Amino acid sequence: MRAHLQVVLMTTAFLLAPIPAFAAEEVTVFEIIDMAAQFAGEELTVEGELVGDYGFRNDGWMWTQLNGDAYVAAPLREGGPPVGANIGIGVRIPVELAEGLDSPGGYRNRGPVVRVTGIWKYHDPERQGESYLQVDALTVTEAGRQLDEGANWTALISGSLLLAVAGIVARLTPPDN
Amino acid sequence: MLIRPVADDFRVIGFYMGRIFLVVAAAAGLPLVWAAAAREWSPFGSFLLMGGVFALFGVVGTRLTPKEQGLDWSHGMVVVALTWLLVPIIGAIPLLLSGHFGRPLDAFFDAMSGVTTTGLSLLNDVDHLASSLNFWRHFLQFLGGQGIILAALTIFAGTGGITLYFGEAREERILPSVTSTARFIWAVSVVHLVFGVLALGLVGWLVLGFGIDRAVFHGLMVFFAGFDTGGFAPQSTSIGYYHSATFEGVTSLLMVAGAMSFGLHYALWRGPRRGVFANLETRTILATFAFTMVLTLLGLAATRLFVSVTGLTRQGLFQVLSAHTGTGFSTVPSVELAKWGGLAFGGIAIAMALGGMGSSTAGGVKSLRIGLTIKAVVNQIRQVLLPEHALVGTAYHQSGRKHLTPQLTQSVMIISLLYVALYLLGAGVGLAYGIPLQQALFESVSASANVGLSVGVTDPSMPILLELVYMLQMWAGRLEFVAVFSLLGFVYAWVRGR
Repeated sequence: MRAHLQVVLMTTAFLLAPIPAFAAEEVTVFEIIDMAAQFAGEELTVEGELVGDYGFRNDGWMWTQLNGDAYVAAPLREGGPPVGANIGIGVRIPVELAEGLDSPGGYRNRGPVVRVTGIWKYHDPERQGESYLQVDALTVTEAGRQLDEGANWTALISGSLLLAVAGIVARLTPPDN
Repeated sequence: MLIRPVADDFRVIGFYMGRIFLVVAAAAGLPLVWAAAAREWSPFGSFLLMGGVFALFGVVGTRLTPKEQGLDWSHGMVVVALTWLLVPIIGAIPLLLSGHFGRPLDAFFDAMSGVTTTGLSLLNDVDHLASSLNFWRHFLQFLGGQGIILAALTIFAGTGGITLYFGEAREERILPSVTSTARFIWAVSVVHLVFGVLALGLVGWLVLGFGIDRAVFHGLMVFFAGFDTGGFAPQSTSIGYYHSATFEGVTSLLMVAGAMSFGLHYALWRGPRRGVFANLETRTILATFAFTMVLTLLGLAATRLFVSVTGLTRQGLFQVLSAHTGTGFSTVPSVELAKWGGLAFGGIAIAMALGGMGSSTAGGVKSLRIGLTIKAVVNQIRQVLLPEHALVGTAYHQSGRKHLTPQLTQSVMIISLLYVALYLLGAGVGLAYGIPLQQALFESVSASANVGLSVGVTDPSMPILLELVYMLQMWAGRLEFVAVFSLLGFVYAWVRGR
């Protein structure tokens, strides 16, 4: 009797619950750029590094860039190979989701790696044809980290020597005119 | 009979190049200071090395005092061509040492692209580049757009200046002396620099929500690349990074200002302004802009990529403006640009090929030559249609009433045809490597006309020969051939002369 009641309750709960959303399609940044028109208006999940700036605007949104290239896993400054240009898209994130993120990627640091889900707005008519991912869920999968920079002593010493030689030549041989 | 250059010819060339190198060495101090202020010590060392090389070459060159000769026309042209070849080679040192390039040639490619204000790039991972190196890339565009020689002329007045001035593809002297003209050009640029950076910085800070320092940084970089129609950008997504119509609007104004001849700037500043719109050059560029704009918008409408007229107009307008002014900024990825087939693709390619105004920072065939070519063709047709003894008017308005003489027609036609040949050269080499015709032609025109828009052919994995051809196109296109041919003639005379 109890088992029957359980089945009835669960069935009722299932029927009354809101229709579950289809899982967002999991894609890469490259796929979004390459098949931008096909993905127009679709809900997508994508992972990548936030780079550049966090532009907190007055309308409650934060804009930044999401890169999905090889430099996310292997930054050049940590010995990663140069494998071409960056692959990035613009992302618009609600301010409440963007608060507390580590600094965006740049020269001194690898930005936070995030997994975001949102609607791909392809040539959005409401923003005069801009394309971007409007994020409604964000998870940080890897915190940002500092990238070390060492001084280039060879260049520093060679440059100083060359400047010194130029100065000596200039002093010893004044120009005629 | 070819006369082999003698030691004194080399001394003259070395002496003037030495002066120019000293100016560039001083300019190289700016990124050095930037790197020190930003505590970017690795780039700091490479800027010191570059400055040392420029300074040493400069000092040694200025000690090669010529004994008898002054700077004549051919010397001047050789100096200009060599300067535009050697400055990017030495200027590539910090780029090469940054670790952002796979091969040394790629760093040279980017420096050449910067100096010639092209904007094509083989840089890997620009989004993690040091700010001082980003400054150097953009400053190279400013230096090249203003004219390296012009910078030297502003400081070193003297004989031979006129040759160097014209060698750098400038066709008009705005003020009586070359030095005063050079100073006027710098004055115009500095005023635009102040207002441009201020406007872009304010938009970055107030509209985009950047911090003040980053807003000024972006403003400065985009100003250098926009006003000097260069096209580099501090982030990989170019102007699309900013997602702002206001930012694009200010950038567009800077691109237009950069593509205007300094003669037109002079007329707008000091008057008389009335004649400006009567000028053949102004009318031609307005007509060709309208034509390529309509072509592109019709083409974009046919692709059905845009669902709103405002979206289509904003994106189309920016890309055509960027192409016609020879800037190369973009708000769409190169992958998408490659998919803009048909009329849209054609509209942008034609806009790139035509270029901006003469004596500006823009590249391409240039509006005055286009206007004169059309006028010559129309006159020819009228001559055929009218009775045998009828006189066909040859007058045109360009800062006063002028006449289209046969000599002028010939020189205009030759330069225009050379540009067409240059466009075909790169396209031919691209085709030989299996690149589709449309893309090969687009990229070749972009390199030759110093634009920088790309459909993805320019890539670190591109064939070396194609890379070399694009570099040749950027160099010859920027100098409008004369100085390059003079250098080739000088080398030939040195080898084969008596």
